Amino acid sequence: MFFKKLFSTKGNLIPKDQNLIPETREKMSTEFKQRLQNSADISENEIGASGITLFSIGTLIDKTMLHRDIIDPLKGLSFDSTQKIMEHLSIGEIEKSNQMEKAVQAALDGNVIIFLDGNSSVLLAKIPSRVGRSVSYAQNESQVIGPQMAFTESLLTNMTLIRSYIKDTSLCIENLQVGSRTNKLVSIVYINGIVSEQMVGSLRKRIQEIKMDGILDSSVLEQLLAENSLTIFPQMALTERPDRVSDWLLKGKVAIFVDGSSLAIVCPQSFMEFFQSMEDSNVNWQIATFWRLLRFTALFLSVFFTALYVASLTFHYEVIPQTLLFTLSESRAKVPFPPIIEALLLEFIMELLREAGARLPTKVGQTMGIVGGIVIGTAAVEAGFTSNILIIIISLGALGSFVTPSYTMGNVIRIVRFPLIILAGFWGFYGMMFGFCFLLLHLLRQTSLGSPYLSPFYPPRFADWKDSIIRLPLSITNKRPDLTRAEDEYKFDPIKAKKHN
Amino acid sequence: MKVQYQAKPQYILSTFILFFIIHSIQVGIGIQGFQRIIFSEAKNDSWISVVLAGVFTHIVVFFIIKTLQLYGPTDIYGIHIEVYGKWIGKAVNCIYIFYCLGMFVVILNNYIEVIQTWVFPTVPTWLFSISILLLVVYGVTGGIRVIAGAGFFSIILSVWILSFIGYPLRFVDFHHLLPVMESNITSILKGSYKMTITLIGFEILYIVYPFMEDRKKVIKYAHLGVAATNILYLILMLLTLSYFSPGQLENTNWPTLSLFKIVKLPFIERTEYVAVSYWLLIILPNLLLYMWAAVRGIKRSFERKTKGVIWFFTIFLFFVSIFINTRSKINQFNDFFDNIAFYIAFCYPFILYILALIKKKMTSLKEN
Repeated sequence: MFFKKLFSTKGNLIPKDQNLIPETREKMSTEFKQRLQNSADISENEIGASGITLFSIGTLIDKTMLHRDIIDPLKGLSFDSTQKIMEHLSIGEIEKSNQMEKAVQAALDGNVIIFLDGNSSVLLAKIPSRVGRSVSYAQNESQVIGPQMAFTESLLTNMTLIRSYIKDTSLCIENLQVGSRTNKLVSIVYINGIVSEQMVGSLRKRIQEIKMDGILDSSVLEQLLAENSLTIFPQMALTERPDRVSDWLLKGKVAIFVDGSSLAIVCPQSFMEFFQSMEDSNVNWQIATFWRLLRFTALFLSVFFTALYVASLTFHYEVIPQTLLFTLSESRAKVPFPPIIEALLLEFIMELLREAGARLPTKVGQTMGIVGGIVIGTAAVEAGFTSNILIIIISLGALGSFVTPSYTMGNVIRIVRFPLIILAGFWGFYGMMFGFCFLLLHLLRQTSLGSPYLSPFYPPRFADWKDSIIRLPLSITNKRPDLTRAEDEYKFDPIKAKKHN
Repeated sequence: MKVQYQAKPQYILSTFILFFIIHSIQVGIGIQGFQRIIFSEAKNDSWISVVLAGVFTHIVVFFIIKTLQLYGPTDIYGIHIEVYGKWIGKAVNCIYIFYCLGMFVVILNNYIEVIQTWVFPTVPTWLFSISILLLVVYGVTGGIRVIAGAGFFSIILSVWILSFIGYPLRFVDFHHLLPVMESNITSILKGSYKMTITLIGFEILYIVYPFMEDRKKVIKYAHLGVAATNILYLILMLLTLSYFSPGQLENTNWPTLSLFKIVKLPFIERTEYVAVSYWLLIILPNLLLYMWAAVRGIKRSFERKTKGVIWFFTIFLFFVSIFINTRSKINQFNDFFDNIAFYIAFCYPFILYILALIKKKMTSLKEN
């Protein structure tokens, strides 16, 4: 009597009676199928005469595990409660529930529902099937020196990789769900004690506030998390390298992983950091500094060189020294277009080549090299379509944009060129300066997770300049960047480090 | 409105940024051609005028900071209300806002004139005016941090120009400077007076003061900023005096730009084309800061939303700038604001300091 009373009060507390697990097998079966729209892949196994039935979505579970770890141990036995069944099974993740909603959600997550006839609670045993690839080489961010592993599409594997790099008790992984239909698991990873609590808090809030039905990849999530969706510049980094993420975590940044995506989002990120590569810290500081300066020069070359050509030839040919002017006018003598059309045309062809190369299967890819190099390069000049010098300039610019270690930033650099060429074609040097000033103000206005985008240059943090456009020895760069507002400012004690090195 | 103004933490600037703010707002349009104007008064002793004017600027800056220190975190708009009372204070604030906008137009129009004379003689004024104004709107809506950043980068990215000093240095004749003190004191002082439009800008201290992180260090960085400007002007003046002959200098409108003419690099000639275009980056912080100062004036005195005010000012300034389009009009306008600037930037701080001091004494007497 007492138990019945308790049950009835429970029933009153939860108004929806159907939210509870039905007690008979038939009811359970219809309820389960109805909730999953009678999908064809629902499987229902009855184990002998024990009264146990297994409900699952057949495509989501591991069949061998099902037979070896669940059906075999339970075969031929009979049980009177679910607790007894639990004691008989040797599965890592197993839990008890009496909620229908939860059971169905668990089935979608790769669980088998173990139902005992006449019992109001079920067991949920997790045996998901593992579809995916194993850890492979980092192909998009390849480097010569350093680890070669890349993240995979499995969140579990990615977490394993991070954990194996940072064996620290304060490494913290927080799980959230995004997407009202895809229900993807999103992990926020950070090192407690280093990271700024406020940043993690605001990031968590932003992820929770996302109202979208489906988020399939971290690159989509990145766009939703960014503060300013009007800017072309990426505000968070996407990377496939576990060592890169670990390095940034140690600097006090936050990483976000999405289940099913092989790219991690890392923020806050400054403009300068898009031009740094993980390899910089794996080589001598002198070489790293040279590389960084090279990349920075390439950035300016890539953005302004074509525009400079257009501006000088359209308005200011006086600035070109006489000897150079001779060569220029000779090579341009046959060209029928004004410089701006010539430059835009060639840049357009260059972009076409790049896009075609990126979309083509690798086997056909070689053809693109021939088309680009011989047909367009040589033939265009011989036909008097463009000048030789412009081809050199454009290829220099393209090379410069490919030097950028970050693919997303490389795209931006290539696109920013076009408005600058147009401005240069209309207003010459003034137009270029106008574009430059606009870019400067634009970059000054951007923030990444509340941190200034142009850090450490503005606001000037001279201590952080040691690891920005240049890289000084590791024993000097012992401070975490101001960008992350880290709670523990120092990586190590500089005096102690000096004694040992 | 409150006299004191506590800036929100996200708008607070490191104090040493003040160096860049002061230096970048002082150096702008005047530097292109101040030498001829001073030379017409003080002849070969012009450099003494530059030094005198510089010293005087330091004194004025000292008094500006003294005035501000009487009140704690406040700006000139708050001080006006405190000193003159509500209504007269607001009227005086309006004059100050008008002065900021006037300086804006002076800088804008002089730059447009330079660019039209040197690079694009046929491009109409309105096109330059509207493009620069849009840039200014974009910057000012970003707030003081963006504006200070523009000042910072404008200096950092312009340092390379200084390396060009080496080129004229090969042709200088320092005998042009002799005999020293040939001109009489009056003409030297007149020369100093003519430095006004080249030196002003430091009065922005009155407005950025509450945004400084450590107000005790303001005095150091403000004086450093002014000192950097003075040294730059002195070097340029000495270089110009010893490079040009007196007759040549009298006929050169923009001696600094003319100095660029002789710079020859293996890949670039006629560097002044590059320099004149590059000057957009140098005048940008001036325009941003004056516009911001004016907008803050409205915000502080009348508590209006800034966005509407910025657009209103922009449209107003656009029409003013296309109205002042000929050399004679620009000259008239310059002379008019030269006078106003002398009184407002150089003389008024002393008066304001005395008034503020009296007011302070009176209130403390009343309380006792």
